[in-house]
Amino acid sequence: MAKTIMVVDDSASLRQVVSIALKGAGFDIIEACDGKDGLSKINGQKIHLIISDVNMPNMDGITFVQEVKKLANYKFTPIIMLTTESQEAKKQAGQAAGAKAWVVKPFQPAQMLAAVSKLIMP
Amino acid sequence: MHIDAQQENGICRLQMEGELTIYHSLEIRDGLMGHLAANTEIELDLSGVTEMDTAGFQLLLAAKREGTRLGKAVRFVSHSQAALEVIDLYNMAAQFGDPLLLSARQ
Amino acid sequence: MGMDQALQTYIEESRGLLDEMEGILLRLESEPQEEETVNAMFRAAHTIKGSAGLFGLDAIVAFTHVVENVLDEVRGGTLAVNGELVELLLKCSDHIGLLITVVAETGEALDAEQAAAGEAIAAALRSLLGGAAAADAAMPAVHEARLAASGGGLLEGDYWHLSLVFGRDVLKNGMDPISFIRYLSTIGDIVSLRVDDSELPELNAIDPESCYLSFSIEFKSEADKKTIEDVFEFVREGCKLRIFPPPSHLAAFVDRLEHASGNTDMLGQLLIEAGILTGHELEDALASQESMAAVCGGAKPPIGEVLVNEGVVQKEVMDAALEKQRQIRDHKAQEAKFIRVSAEKLDELINLVGELVIAGAGASLLAQRSGDAALHESTSVVSGLVEEIRDGALKLRMVEIGETFNRFQRVVRDVSKELGKDIGLEIGGAETELDKTVVEKIGDPLMHLVRNAMDHGIEPAAARVAAGKPAKGSLRLNAYHDSGSIVIEVADDGGGLKKERILKKAIERGIVNPGQSLSDNEIYNLVFEAGFSTADQVTNLSGRGVGMDVVKRNIQALRGSVDIESAEGRGTTVRIRLPLTLAIIDGFLVGVGKSAFVVPLDMVLECIELSEADRKAADTRNYVNLRGEVLPFVRLRDQFEVKAAAGKRENIVVVQYGGQKAGFVVDELMGEFQTVIKPLGNVFRNLRGISGSTILGTGEVALILDVPTLVQLAVARDEQLAMHGA
Repeated sequence: MAKTIMVVDDSASLRQVVSIALKGAGFDIIEACDGKDGLSKINGQKIHLIISDVNMPNMDGITFVQEVKKLANYKFTPIIMLTTESQEAKKQAGQAAGAKAWVVKPFQPAQMLAAVSKLIMP
Repeated sequence: MHIDAQQENGICRLQMEGELTIYHSLEIRDGLMGHLAANTEIELDLSGVTEMDTAGFQLLLAAKREGTRLGKAVRFVSHSQAALEVIDLYNMAAQFGDPLLLSARQ
Repeated sequence: MGMDQALQTYIEESRGLLDEMEGILLRLESEPQEEETVNAMFRAAHTIKGSAGLFGLDAIVAFTHVVENVLDEVRGGTLAVNGELVELLLKCSDHIGLLITVVAETGEALDAEQAAAGEAIAAALRSLLGGAAAADAAMPAVHEARLAASGGGLLEGDYWHLSLVFGRDVLKNGMDPISFIRYLSTIGDIVSLRVDDSELPELNAIDPESCYLSFSIEFKSEADKKTIEDVFEFVREGCKLRIFPPPSHLAAFVDRLEHASGNTDMLGQLLIEAGILTGHELEDALASQESMAAVCGGAKPPIGEVLVNEGVVQKEVMDAALEKQRQIRDHKAQEAKFIRVSAEKLDELINLVGELVIAGAGASLLAQRSGDAALHESTSVVSGLVEEIRDGALKLRMVEIGETFNRFQRVVRDVSKELGKDIGLEIGGAETELDKTVVEKIGDPLMHLVRNAMDHGIEPAAARVAAGKPAKGSLRLNAYHDSGSIVIEVADDGGGLKKERILKKAIERGIVNPGQSLSDNEIYNLVFEAGFSTADQVTNLSGRGVGMDVVKRNIQALRGSVDIESAEGRGTTVRIRLPLTLAIIDGFLVGVGKSAFVVPLDMVLECIELSEADRKAADTRNYVNLRGEVLPFVRLRDQFEVKAAAGKRENIVVVQYGGQKAGFVVDELMGEFQTVIKPLGNVFRNLRGISGSTILGTGEVALILDVPTLVQLAVARDEQLAMHGA
């Protein structure tokens, strides 16, 4: 049974590229366009990993992570934060919220795959 | 995660069903503690373990050690694929290595 | 879409590699163990695997990984190539082709039958491997057995050793050690793994969401330390991670340190650059250095010590790093002292300074004539500065003689071997500076002197021992400054010169008269006389003479002098005295009409007035009687066609060069004068009797006389006339 990864980012193209890379590696992908959308799509299903951007409309990444950590069935789900080099403060905030892994944008699909592979196997 | 207990010839057979993971670690620990206190010989059937992580593995290890400490037998049998993978990775087949281990894989 | 195109490229690339691999395999049957072909095959598998990873083609990665491992063993020579292996590898190549077609091209998985066939091939490959590479083996029980039996095939114990103590909260953060360890096995092979559960409390005391386990792992990998450390980048917080390199890496580390770029002299950076230390390890060590300082009250322990004590860097590697650091610092200190400038630029500068002197002198003259005291004052300040600039510019050309001396280490070593003598070279005053041009030209004479000393000066070991001296001869090159000159000494501790034999030889050769009384020093210096001796006689003479006259001439051409000192049985010292620079000359200024000429002062013997009688006679002959000696002369007025009529009085400057004396007839003697030599332009290159020019204080140009040429000219003319007269 393939493991499921949720990709939360407001950029459709980024979601697509990440999806291609991760689906290629044998993961199932759920895409969400922002934190709010992400929370609504979690929907009780098994999610093994969440990849989330920081800056998003409706609900930003930090809030989203905080919300996810409150959910009993997801509080131990590993979360990869997508940060940029200049967002050291955001990275810290993300880590404080519980997103302990990060990938710095821009990244190659392979980099994302490597980060994911450190956390879960397909 | 469910733990179904069955008594058979003085042996307590515990059928573990579902995810042996951190999400259920508290209930699993309490379950194991209860059964260990009430029985002298426990056989954990792992064939129903669909997923196992380090938290789960740690609990099995602790149960085994607890058994040794209390002079009670704790055995693991019918390891599922998921359980085997972790035990294999951690190179702990010797500790978890009951004869039935081999038959668990086809 | 980009990914699809890239994937297409990958498919084509892989097919090409597979074709190549197949070709190699077919060749391999006929010519086994060609190292380069095996390498090429390994690279092919490696590339296919590597790129498959990029596209997430894990089925290909998994299969090619095993193939690669086998090829690695073949490459390393632990697996022999035979028909069976070639057969198996051909099957591998076919299976990879199938994987490319199905998995990469169509994106499907292999069907059950194909997958089973692949697994069978992989199993056959694994069975060829030692235990370690088969870490992804199927059965735990079998796995154990293999590990136990793994000793033989692999270099025993040559693995990375990882010690992992995860933070308590790692599981709560959604990070599972299992994932990291699995990931680790994608960059190498986990040879053995031991779970340490000593921190695990009793069941009732466990917080089941905390991690109590730690791990020690023997890891076989080509990856570098940073890559291995990066596997755990997300769990570094609260995690104690120690990575110990395989023992075989230590030598490589030391080697890498020795060849470090030298871009940094910071110990930590140096170690990071060599791949020995990672940035995180350095940060941790710096932090513990700080905390140690806080505990011990002030003094921070050296970072190197901290790293060694904490087991992050091995002592022998640290020693190498410290040595390298010292070297880099020395080098830096040197670099800080010196900058490299092309000699051409310096020459250009000195030339310009020469022009500046002329222009300055001209300005001074005008200022003087104007009678404007303030202007005169300011131009004289400028003149002073210009002179300082001139001296400074000349100093820029000065180089240390050490490099020239050091070249003789090799010469002495080679020549002593050739001669069968044991001779050591000592060097002193290597930091003594002299003009670069002089350094370039002194090499040949020095070589001559050194060879001479070794050949004829230092006795064979037996003779030395008999004379109560150490068997090993000693040659010493020394340099020092002495009153505006540099002195270079070539000294040996050989048999010394034999006075009587030199004197006897000199009398035989008619160099000295039998009744002449000579000081010891004069006798020794006879060896520099032209025609003093020839090679075979010199050898009998214990020493000197082979071309010593040539040495002397060369040194004189540099406006230097040479002197010899010797003590019989104790050794000989040849002392060369050279001007510090060829760009400055101590001259003797003379005037002919309105023209001025400079005679290098060290060649001037004396000045005498040309008597009325001699002046008259000089019209018909080109020599005068100098205290009973015939002194040929050259009239500079005629030589250089100076138009102005002769003055009332004329003088003769007596010069000596190469044992020949001659006189220059001039009008005026204007005295000693130190000046900068400006080389002649190309137009004057062929002008006979002139070697350069210089600028007088008046701003006028004076020509520097080429004494050797003029002496030769005078002597030749004199002889011609004499023959003519006879």
